[in-house]
Amino acid sequence: MNAAVETEAEIRYAIAIDTGGTFTDVTLFDRETGQIWTAKTPSTPSDPSVGFMNGIQAAIEKASLEATELAQVFHGTTVATNLILESKGADVGLITTDGFKHVLEIGRQDIPRRANLFAWIKPTRPVLPERIHEIPERVDIEGNVLVPLDETAVRKAAHDFKTRGVNAVAVCFLNSFVHPAHEKRTAEIIREEHPDALVSISSDVLRVFREYERSIATVLNVYVMPAVSRYVAQLEGRLSQEKIDAPLLIMKSNGGVVGVGEVERVPAYTALSGPAAGVVGAGFVGAAAGYGDVIGIDIGGTSADICLIKNGAYSLTGKGKIGDWPLAFPMLDINTVGTGGGSIATVSETGVLTVGPASAGADPGPACYGRGGEQATITDAHLVLGHLPPYLLAGGMQLDEAASRKAIDQHVGRPLGLSAEDAAQGILAIADNDMVGAIRVISVERGHDPRDFALIPFGGAGPLHGSSLARLLGAQTVVVPPSPGVLSAMGLLVSQLRADYSRTCFQAPPDFDFNLMETAFRELEAEAENWFEREGVPQAARQLTRKASLRYKHQGFELDVDWTGDAVTADTTALTLDAFHTLHERLYTFAQKDTPIEIVTLHVAAVGELLQPKLSALPTGGALADAEINRHPVFFEDGWCDVPVYDRQKLSASIHFEGPGLVVQLDSTTLIEPNSTVRTDQFGNLIIDVS
Amino acid sequence: MSAEVQAADAPVCDAVTLEVIRGALRASQSEMEALIERTAMSAFIREKKDFFVALFDATGDMIVGAYRPSFGDPVRPIFEFYPPDQMKPGDLYWYNDCYGSKGSVSHSPDQVFVAPIFVDGEIIAFAQSWAHFADIGGMRPGSISPDCTDIFQEGIIVPPVRLAEAGVVNDELLRVFFRNSRFPDMLKGDTRACFAAVRLGERRIGELAERFGAEVVVDAFRQLGDRSEQAAVERLRETFQPGSYRFADSVDHDGQGNGPYRLSMELTVDDNGVVLDFSDSDDQAPGPINYLVNPAVPRAMLGMYLLAGDPTLLLNAGAGRAIDEVVLRKGSVLQPKWPAPLGQRGLTMMRLLSSTMGLVNAAGGESTAANCAYVIYFARGVGDDGTPFLMSDGVGVGYGARPYADGINAVYYVAQENYPAEMMEQNYPARLRAYGIHCDSGGPGRWRGGCGVVREIELLAEEATFAIRIDGVQKPAWGVKGGHNGGAGRAVLNPGTPQERELDPFSDGNVLRRGDILRLQTGGGGGWGHPYDREPERVLADVLAQFVSRESALEDYGVVLSTDGESVEAAATAARRQDRPPVDGLFHRGEYKDILE
Repeated sequence: MNAAVETEAEIRYAIAIDTGGTFTDVTLFDRETGQIWTAKTPSTPSDPSVGFMNGIQAAIEKASLEATELAQVFHGTTVATNLILESKGADVGLITTDGFKHVLEIGRQDIPRRANLFAWIKPTRPVLPERIHEIPERVDIEGNVLVPLDETAVRKAAHDFKTRGVNAVAVCFLNSFVHPAHEKRTAEIIREEHPDALVSISSDVLRVFREYERSIATVLNVYVMPAVSRYVAQLEGRLSQEKIDAPLLIMKSNGGVVGVGEVERVPAYTALSGPAAGVVGAGFVGAAAGYGDVIGIDIGGTSADICLIKNGAYSLTGKGKIGDWPLAFPMLDINTVGTGGGSIATVSETGVLTVGPASAGADPGPACYGRGGEQATITDAHLVLGHLPPYLLAGGMQLDEAASRKAIDQHVGRPLGLSAEDAAQGILAIADNDMVGAIRVISVERGHDPRDFALIPFGGAGPLHGSSLARLLGAQTVVVPPSPGVLSAMGLLVSQLRADYSRTCFQAPPDFDFNLMETAFRELEAEAENWFEREGVPQAARQLTRKASLRYKHQGFELDVDWTGDAVTADTTALTLDAFHTLHERLYTFAQKDTPIEIVTLHVAAVGELLQPKLSALPTGGALADAEINRHPVFFEDGWCDVPVYDRQKLSASIHFEGPGLVVQLDSTTLIEPNSTVRTDQFGNLIIDVS
Repeated sequence: MSAEVQAADAPVCDAVTLEVIRGALRASQSEMEALIERTAMSAFIREKKDFFVALFDATGDMIVGAYRPSFGDPVRPIFEFYPPDQMKPGDLYWYNDCYGSKGSVSHSPDQVFVAPIFVDGEIIAFAQSWAHFADIGGMRPGSISPDCTDIFQEGIIVPPVRLAEAGVVNDELLRVFFRNSRFPDMLKGDTRACFAAVRLGERRIGELAERFGAEVVVDAFRQLGDRSEQAAVERLRETFQPGSYRFADSVDHDGQGNGPYRLSMELTVDDNGVVLDFSDSDDQAPGPINYLVNPAVPRAMLGMYLLAGDPTLLLNAGAGRAIDEVVLRKGSVLQPKWPAPLGQRGLTMMRLLSSTMGLVNAAGGESTAANCAYVIYFARGVGDDGTPFLMSDGVGVGYGARPYADGINAVYYVAQENYPAEMMEQNYPARLRAYGIHCDSGGPGRWRGGCGVVREIELLAEEATFAIRIDGVQKPAWGVKGGHNGGAGRAVLNPGTPQERELDPFSDGNVLRRGDILRLQTGGGGGWGHPYDREPERVLADVLAQFVSRESALEDYGVVLSTDGESVEAAATAARRQDRPPVDGLFHRGEYKDILE
């Protein structure tokens, strides 16, 4: 594979392809001039590599480049995500410890808290129970072998998979996080007996304790592995067809990119690839605009993805989920709520107005699209209130205001006895409230005060909600990026290579084994260094950070803190424990200094720095009047008001103006409320002060 | 009720604000739950999530609570000692007194914490948290044991007390409490977690009042209650035509060798209202299965069924108002006299919950078959390092089949998680040797009852005493409308060895020594509909999954499988199903019958 990190001169042109459900967004960046070209092409779900290549073609045509001039190709993909969400992965086999065949079926033996216990149906597992083979072997929690691995049984299982055409095999033995040898040997035997099989062992995928979570992660990994491998091979094939020999770097759920080899090894790392790119983009925009503490909110057609960035650093979680399944890898802490432009508003028989999670999607879409949609959606509410001019994509598509009004009147206004405007405002109030609830989860519940953060709304519908969300949260500033609709593609361009290495290593006080922990950290660091080598990261660009998951004795939930200091000693351990007390207090309002702390899992986060693009500054000195296209009636609290409509393209840097107003552009519309002030910065961000 | 006060006026809180407030209440509740979940120390709370947060209006009516009918009427008992007009901002009240609170808590390990929420000097609401603390003293570690014969043996009793006055915590009370526990560290952590959750709820409601005004928020509380009430009343009238309906079922035994104990319910619907009468239930038991029922509990049980499937309706006091009167007989197993033991009332509670479904079935409604009552065991001993341990582990069971789906396999209860094997081995001198589905425990039916589990524990300490609680052994979960009863649970010591010994499924004092293996098998849920109506493909899938044996497929479902067991013999199956066992009773336990008890 090609090295991802080269000198500036060699990587003048970088391209990013963000494949979404409906559209593929492409951003091409010239590192020499800072110029950016964007393109939007339809996604091709049956073979996403077609849309991927079409997008590249469209962008290089715009930039008048040859494909061979591209030096880096970044990609955000939903292939793994969709396989899991739509239950369309491979026919998987699982090998596990004798006596534990049904660990997946049992799960954590709970009915979800919000579920009604009469109505809840346990989701079907991604592996058939009859494709799970129990193998005699057992290792205790200290790593001592109690029952040696029965290799004959493994061979028999491998043979059974081979006969049945099961070509994706997961291996998860109890306590393998302390003693992976049995899993490794099992993988060898499967490869001997069934060379066509893709094999994944749990100690490779997620070397931490809790057998259900580790099993499901390993199973999901092989579940998506054949399709993701195929997909990645297709991408590489298409790139080489076009003589593009630039390295292909793919976004993972942790907000970093990795080379193809790493994705093929653990494809489940890409489960949140799409939304992760948006988070990185939000962080980049915030930093450029001078805000290190930001909350990103990506509002698309069916959902809103929300994330928090503190001091320029993303929040990671080990409690992430994808669909019904926990995925305990370090993933960006993204909270998704089923509220997007296409979310449908309905009034129940009992007179309750709800918005989403049902969505009209892109097809038929909101009533105003005129494609047969008759339900009232969030987009229809915006149109009725004048938040949107009656066209999308700069005149490319007309919106039918009368259809919106009719839908809202029929489905919300009349049942509740409200005018169309009041009903539309009600729909938006409820949608905003749902999003505020989701923002609180990743801010307040994580010990952050949202009032201290700038809001970065993006995605097509984000800038319509930015100001009202900021007001509801008590935040002061909204930063609308130059191209809110394609921020994820921008995020890809500015991403770093990232990999996380974890290992459970129980340590209970007072018997902390500092040497053992130091050794474990070094082993994790060695793994990280190997990865750096594989990715071709030069020494100077390598960064390693040690972290630990800690908990109070008797607690069952760990918190991650950075390891304070370099080597593990009594002193650095004490400092790290102190940091845990502080974090616990910040998150949960109290610390328990009289309670011993246990060390559970050690982590090493590896970052390979990639060259960061320098944005070109916008010219200053333009007049606001030059950007005003026309005026448009908008409904606010006090009734209708004629507001100016500005063309985003024509707004130069350092312009100041006051709301109300609308700022329109190809991929989005920004609603500026009355009593707010706006300025444009040198990178073309709109900085809205809603206080 | 305060409903009539508002009747003349238009509502203060409009439809949209109401939804916003409903969303905010749910969010606050989630936040409080998350806080407890992540900070608590008792395994009961942190892994099994045996805790509960709720918000109440100024009169003590619940506005929003969890979908779990195990709470009573937890705020009002405090008023007896501390009238609301004497409360101050920053106060915090605490109790676990079952009899003193008329069953608002129903066994002593459950601690209730309540804080009044003030806006402009007026109480507008109460925030509450409640959790099962691991050990509060009593005759055995874990406080509750089948051996208890009065409530004094089940740990310290705390009547409603003011734990904090105007923000100042009374440490003396806590010192007494902690001193009474064998595991005071856990108690400290749990108390802090519950405190913090209540304070959080206090803050969130305060913010809500600040944003919308106290008047609007209070009106929203009223409307949310009324909405649930209206929906519950309508659905109750749809489910139960005027008339009188009966259902009865029994708990196996009381842990003291007595039983079975019959739980009887009669629902009468007429022009005067809806009355739920439990007075025909058996007299109270000497053992700790007595369930001091607060009238709010059966109301919530039925309310939960009536509001099922509509997430916009909150399970609150309004839902319970659909029932006009709950009749309980003092001295019965559902209304025992002081100081009868209550520790194991979970068995009776689960049985009663299933009986509510039985009542709906008996009234001609569409409902589920019975769930098996969840299983629990305690192990206490001293580890090799000299520290005493208490392992309290809840084990999943099968739930009843439904008119549209199989029962749920291997679940304990709402939001309660198991101990992972890798956690047990890390925290306790015990090793899990097997953890799987209990084959053939799901009641056969058109829809199969959920399967129970098998859990095999090896003791790694010198010696430990086990308490085991498995119900539904003599009287397994009933099936309905042609479905069969679920399988029974059992507890076996050292299975498959010459030392194999069957243990009393509901007993304490079982002494295990190092290397001994305890195998627990838990029961399944009842089936729904005739097993011969189940698609043969589903039966095949169950056999392949080892949820159902090949023998049961043939005997119970009439499905003939190929020699390799991997396909259905269609012709042979059709032939066998010609001769279809007749159904001559609505329910099934061992045989079809219309009245179980």
